[in-house]
Amino acid sequence: MAVNLKQLTQSEDLLAGGHRACAGCTGSNILRQIMLTAGPDTVVGGATGCMEVVTTIFPYTAWKTSFIHSAFENCAATISGVETAFRALKKSGELPVAREKMNFIAFGGDGGTYDIGLQSLSGAMERGHNMLYVCYDNEAYMNTGIQRSSATPLGAHTSTAPAGTVKQGKEQNRKDLTKIMVAHNIPYVAQTTPFHWKDLATKVEKALACDGPAFLNILMPCTVGWHFDTAIGMEIAREAVETNFWPLFEVEDGRYTINHKPKERAPIADWMKKQGRFKHLFKPGNEHLLETSQKYVDDQWEKLLKLEAMSNG
Amino acid sequence: MARQFMKGNDAVIVGALAAGCRAYYGYPITPASEIAHAAALHFPALGGVFIQAESEVSAINMVYGTAGMGIRTMTASSSPGFSLKQEGLSYCAGAELPCVVVNIVRGGPGLGNIAPEQADYFQITKGGGHGNYRLITLAPNGAQEMCDLTMKAFALADKYRNPACIMADGITGQMMEVVELPKALPVERDHLGWAVDGTPATRKNLISSIVLEPVELEEHNLKLDAKYKACEAAEVLYEEYRTDDAELVIVAYGVVSRIVYSTVDQARSRGLKVGLLRPITLWPFPTAPIRALAGRVRALLAVELSTGQMVEDVRLAVEGRAPVHFYGRCGGMVPGGAELVAEYERVLAGGGQS
Repeated sequence: MAVNLKQLTQSEDLLAGGHRACAGCTGSNILRQIMLTAGPDTVVGGATGCMEVVTTIFPYTAWKTSFIHSAFENCAATISGVETAFRALKKSGELPVAREKMNFIAFGGDGGTYDIGLQSLSGAMERGHNMLYVCYDNEAYMNTGIQRSSATPLGAHTSTAPAGTVKQGKEQNRKDLTKIMVAHNIPYVAQTTPFHWKDLATKVEKALACDGPAFLNILMPCTVGWHFDTAIGMEIAREAVETNFWPLFEVEDGRYTINHKPKERAPIADWMKKQGRFKHLFKPGNEHLLETSQKYVDDQWEKLLKLEAMSNG
Repeated sequence: MARQFMKGNDAVIVGALAAGCRAYYGYPITPASEIAHAAALHFPALGGVFIQAESEVSAINMVYGTAGMGIRTMTASSSPGFSLKQEGLSYCAGAELPCVVVNIVRGGPGLGNIAPEQADYFQITKGGGHGNYRLITLAPNGAQEMCDLTMKAFALADKYRNPACIMADGITGQMMEVVELPKALPVERDHLGWAVDGTPATRKNLISSIVLEPVELEEHNLKLDAKYKACEAAEVLYEEYRTDDAELVIVAYGVVSRIVYSTVDQARSRGLKVGLLRPITLWPFPTAPIRALAGRVRALLAVELSTGQMVEDVRLAVEGRAPVHFYGRCGGMVPGGAELVAEYERVLAGGGQS
């Protein structure tokens, strides 16, 4: 089941052009890459969020496969219902098209996943539905005007955690949702980015092949909310991995594998410097916040290395 | 007095701060997010707190907690988010906790759109959550009122120890107008008899809405009901324009009342004797003034951004004394002046929709 670029290019593109994603959006790229691997026998669920809004403006849909939208906090529950209906129909022999297996993929942004949708996600994972939940994580509520979420990193400026004279952007570190999903002891959990196409396609393939629920957390650099040039979204994604800010790793039945270990990790400040949301951190007096950010990344990386060593030891 | 050009949504925060509110809990949703943005900027600077919750349910329950401390507090959202807050509002009403909730109503049902509608009238004024309770509801029709009625909402919430709601829409929230900045009011805290603020003085208090014994829960409901009746008797707010000799009275609130207001003179220049009654409080509803008008007009016409919600309260007020017609647009469509004048003509000629 090794991923093959030639094969991927021959797969049907299931997200049609003409949708309304922003110039330089890396999110629509994530959706397309996932669907190249998943194929058309898939029901896609979308929580309210930018990717739902730009791909399904009524009466149009960019999806060439079944798509069901639900409220902000309920995508995992909705896909639980869809997947359960499939099993019920299969059991009673009433499937409209006889099939052994279908893919059920739920998409949510970080607001709809880390925050308001965490309860329904946790429930779906615990019940063991045969589904893949994908979080496209652009680290804030971009669709409603760039408000902070629990995925927003320390120091980032957002409209509800603004940088000014009193405060310097968000005052908390982001939540480690991927590890929360690992704690559900589901068959497959992984992190990736749209730049790492081979890694992404392999992870989608593994996630859809496993028996039970799977979770993918995909970093989605956002030109609007992170304030970088529309041309460099993929570069930002690549550097998030090279700085160890967003390590590529997977957890298969509890066993950690780090898929890429940078030979020399780049300083996090270099990556932050390219993004307007961190601009204020480079003013004199804020050096400590850059140091704190670096220390946080390094600490998390050390912990990840230990988890990998422990679970393989 | 200082004047400033601002959005209606920003004016809500000016009013809230002037009313002594110092704790804001929010969650992002268009077209209400500016209220949270303004709160995030101004509350911390004035010694208050702004917290973005992880969900609408958490935001209203943080409000419940702060209100329980006897401190003025608020949240704001838009229709789908307001739906999620209903359980919390029912608990606030049951536990008699004063707070202010703003609903910048958008198109529904479901995710709908972010354009103006008034289709949350039922869920706001009829007690959208469970149980016998009411939300004191104020409907501003401009930026100045977004400020002033927010202040008023805090006063009413405290007076009746009940949640109060500001019902507006995306136009009223986002259009910019000149606002006369209000004087900050001294807040007189009168919470020692019921709040739980961790001091010896409030140690005997209990905040809860569980009343297991039917006899006692009935008593509790009757106590709430007496409070609501007192509120209905004392707090109705409305405006009338050229109703003295009107043959047709239009009933409209919020952004629609602005449009209707501008059409009354137009219609009169064409010989149509039209007037406007504008409810400012939607609950308590101006039942008595509408009933009084019904005795001497040929007809009434409710104009709303819905398929017909407030019109039911107009009919309940009129009780058959005059025909009550309805004209509504929805989905974010807003009637224009010529469209409305044509409808007045139709109604006065004996047509119109009901």
